[in-house]
Amino acid sequence: MRSAAWRISLWATLAFACGTMLVFVFLHRFMAKDIQRRSDAWLSGEVEVLEDVAERTPKDALYVRVVGEVAELAGKEVPNRDLSESAPNDSVFFLQTDADGAPRLWVGAGDGEAHRKAIRAVNILPDRPMDLQVKGIGVPFRVASIRMDDGSRIYLGLSERDELKVLRSLRVRFLFLWILIVLLGFGIVFFTTWRMLSRVRQITEAASGIGHSDLNSRVPTTGKNDEVAHLALTLNRMLDRIENSMRQLHTITDSLAHDLRSPLTAIRGKLEMSLSADPHAEQAESIVSAIEELDRLTDFLNKSLDVAEAKADALRLTLTEIDLDELLRVMIDLYGPSMSEKGLQIHLCSAGPLMVAADAALLHRMVANLFDNELKHLPASHSITIRLQSDEEAATLILEDDGPGFDSEICPHLFERRVKGRDSNGHGLGLAFIDAVARAHGGAATAANREPGGARIAITLPLASSNSGLHSSALRDAC
Amino acid sequence: MRLLLVEDEVDIQSFLRRSLEEAGYQVDAASDGKTAEKLAVEAPYDLLIVDLGLPDQDGITLILKLRQLGVAAPVLILSARRSVDDRVRGLEQGGDDYLTKPFALAELLARLRNLLKRNSPPGNEATRLRVLDLELDLLRREASRSGELLQLTSQEFVLLEYLCRNAGRVVTRSMILDKVWGMRIQPDTNVVDVHIYRLRGKVDGKGQQPLIRTLRGVGYVLKDR
Repeated sequence: MRSAAWRISLWATLAFACGTMLVFVFLHRFMAKDIQRRSDAWLSGEVEVLEDVAERTPKDALYVRVVGEVAELAGKEVPNRDLSESAPNDSVFFLQTDADGAPRLWVGAGDGEAHRKAIRAVNILPDRPMDLQVKGIGVPFRVASIRMDDGSRIYLGLSERDELKVLRSLRVRFLFLWILIVLLGFGIVFFTTWRMLSRVRQITEAASGIGHSDLNSRVPTTGKNDEVAHLALTLNRMLDRIENSMRQLHTITDSLAHDLRSPLTAIRGKLEMSLSADPHAEQAESIVSAIEELDRLTDFLNKSLDVAEAKADALRLTLTEIDLDELLRVMIDLYGPSMSEKGLQIHLCSAGPLMVAADAALLHRMVANLFDNELKHLPASHSITIRLQSDEEAATLILEDDGPGFDSEICPHLFERRVKGRDSNGHGLGLAFIDAVARAHGGAATAANREPGGARIAITLPLASSNSGLHSSALRDAC
Repeated sequence: MRLLLVEDEVDIQSFLRRSLEEAGYQVDAASDGKTAEKLAVEAPYDLLIVDLGLPDQDGITLILKLRQLGVAAPVLILSARRSVDDRVRGLEQGGDDYLTKPFALAELLARLRNLLKRNSPPGNEATRLRVLDLELDLLRREASRSGELLQLTSQEFVLLEYLCRNAGRVVTRSMILDKVWGMRIQPDTNVVDVHIYRLRGKVDGKGQQPLIRTLRGVGYVLKDR
């Protein structure tokens, strides 16, 4: 759940960060272009003014001073200029060259030799400012040039330093704000999704707590009218319907049981009375077998209804803590004499008490069923081994014999109702009942033939909470 | 001993009434809750047998109502339902008992006796049981017949003790399973018979009068005369 909140917030933040970054890149480019446009406009204007001045000024001794002063003045009106800069004005240079390229006039920082070399290397077109990288100076110049009538050329250069500084400060500020916004956005998205998902989590927890035995509870609903609230309401309505059909199933099985048991009770009572009236009568034998048949019928009825309810996940359980180890010892004590009469041997392989949470009556009947099955179907002089194992969540009862195993044709359908071996005279409910009880407890049952021959049935049951956990560690020494 | 039998099924009512009377009880019968209420309030009964599925009201409602009216006699609940109601469990903890239909008459009678015994003042718990020439020492867990010690396993001793405590009365296989092994199961194999057979081999030696009798279709009885 938490990972979902993380995922959603990460993706949302990523999309948000990319989007804002894209917007900034466009904005940055637009601003850079705009600044350059302004510089270019200024350069073109100034270079024309200078040309005009140079043109008009007579070429006498004063020429250099007049043009130089005008150029210097122009340099003080540079656009985008950082006014705090107190260093000598090196952001602007003015250069006039003769037609052959020899310098005539230089106004600017230094002697202008490097600038002249750079200009000579690049062919600067008139009327169109260009970038110029001067050796020894990190920041490029923007240079506009104009050709005068006497063949000399005037170059006016403006350093891009201030322009770049403005853009850099813009970037730094943006980055700072961007990180802040992205973090804030992540926080908000994460908090919202986490809250939303924690409501979903609450619903999941409540819903998983509602098992087959407890259908009365409902998932928590809030007064809100959003999707999660709708989910909760829908779940609750579904639970209503399930509870309803469950109740109907119970009503049907209960009334079926009632309608069959009442006449069975009357018949059994009457048979018993006629038997006790004269136990040596001629019909005594048939009355006795009728009573036995009746008891088998009752057992069949109970098992069928249990299996039917368990298949529908509707078996009603009263869970208590039962020591599986002790139960098996009592069962072996009970079945042992019958088994040894038949020449069967039975061994229990267990490391002491193993508490499971189960319905006592159902568990007793299930284990009795296992033993009955073996007693009825295992041929003489074979042996049965029962092993008890446990891991952190479940106890496993494994029953293995070295008999002929299950008929191969029924093997894939062992846990279905009415499936029984060729020679079986039961009603084919035994394994279905075992499976049903295991499932009703949240466990499972498996049955298969073993490799060297014989049958293997494994039943897992949930452990009771009070287990000490000693069982699994002690098992290695027990077997 | 006066019993009130509340059961709406005519067939069941009549055979229960007959066999209870044969067992020496005085029986009044009611077919619905209202009649039962009237009878129970008018005359004191030693015990009530109440079916859960009455035509006019639920059996448990009736029992709770009677308790409110001051009827304190123990109740044996008969139920044809599949699951044991929580309220039945409550009553069971309160000293009442329940029996699922169909049941063996012997079991019904045994449960009645238990309920009535619970209600009477407890006598001193005996440390020795004696049935004819069979003697059980409950403290030393030893049994002897005609003075000769029997070699019994502890489980066989428990079984024999149960038979002795019910000497002269029929015990069914499911009663034995319930009391000796603590399980309400119905095996479709002869596990109990084999135990009885082995016990009989040790108790009823050659030339001795056989004590453990099999009543086919019903159960076993330890003869007391």
